[in-house]
Amino acid sequence: MSDQISLYAESIVGFARADGELAELTSELPRVADAVAASEELSSALTDSSVPVARRQQIIEDVLGATVSGTTIGVLSLIVATGHAGELGEIAAAVLRHEASARGEEVAEVRSAVSLTQDQLDRLSTALQAQTGRPVTVRNIVDPTVLGGVVTQIGDSVLDGTVRTRLNQLREAF
Amino acid sequence: MLALLAEAAASPENGKWLAHDKNEIIWGTLAFFVVVALLMWKAAPAIRKAMTGRTERIQAELDAATLQRTEAEGERDRIKAALADSDAEASRIVADAHETAAKLKENIAERTVSEIALLRERASADIDATRRQSLADLTGDVSRLSLGAAEQLVEHNLGDDAQQSLIESYIARVGVSN
Repeated sequence: MSDQISLYAESIVGFARADGELAELTSELPRVADAVAASEELSSALTDSSVPVARRQQIIEDVLGATVSGTTIGVLSLIVATGHAGELGEIAAAVLRHEASARGEEVAEVRSAVSLTQDQLDRLSTALQAQTGRPVTVRNIVDPTVLGGVVTQIGDSVLDGTVRTRLNQLREAF
Repeated sequence: MLALLAEAAASPENGKWLAHDKNEIIWGTLAFFVVVALLMWKAAPAIRKAMTGRTERIQAELDAATLQRTEAEGERDRIKAALADSDAEASRIVADAHETAAKLKENIAERTVSEIALLRERASADIDATRRQSLADLTGDVSRLSLGAAEQLVEHNLGDDAQQSLIESYIARVGVSN
């Protein structure tokens, strides 16, 4: 699945770069993915296979048409049409990784229970850059399920410092 | 002959024990012997033959009766022997039955004892397993409840300061790990 998502992301990046809207896409797609993940109603509507594809694409047009670029709408319509709306977050992350990789950078997905300040993001980016040896773009995702602390995924590496993981480790220790 | 006897009977008595007519005596005697000779010539063989046949038949019947008696005695002896054998067989069967019953009783007793021991052992193992499972379940329940309570506690007590502290601590750890 991850290979398939990676291929999707590569194709989407190529498509946006050809349209000259790669910057808009990389800015908008993660935000849209976060918004869809946060709205159970929207997420259900886009992933419900009993709803015709055209209807789901129309929902995207209606909800997001006025706020995101045509390229982003086109990419979202493609993702919904191919039945991968459930993997929207992963596809968005993969798009960011590909785009950053093309620029010689890494993308770090940082999940925390509360938003990190810009200063914290910069310091974390610097620390991660020192670790990877490459410039790192940090993408902060607010995820209340982590309870507290931070978990960072950069490439295939995961740096987990969440309260949730500590509780899980405690649970397994019993 | 009858005519002569009738004639003699019709003649008057002469007062003597012999007939008074000599010719009558002579002819009577001759006739008597003739009759006797005829009887001996013609009737005696037949009578002898009849007597011999009768004797043989009686002998054969006696022989047959003897044979039947012998056979009956043999049958009687056989039946007596069979009865004796039957009694012995019955005694043997009864003895076998007693022996089998005794062995069966002994086997059942032994098997019952071993089964009881096995059941006791199994019950003991089951009790141990149940005790261990109960303890594990209880431990799991306690840990789950404890962790649930800890989770609730953490969730409600992680204020902004605590969150910021955790984030700063994390950034510091990532920086140190370099």
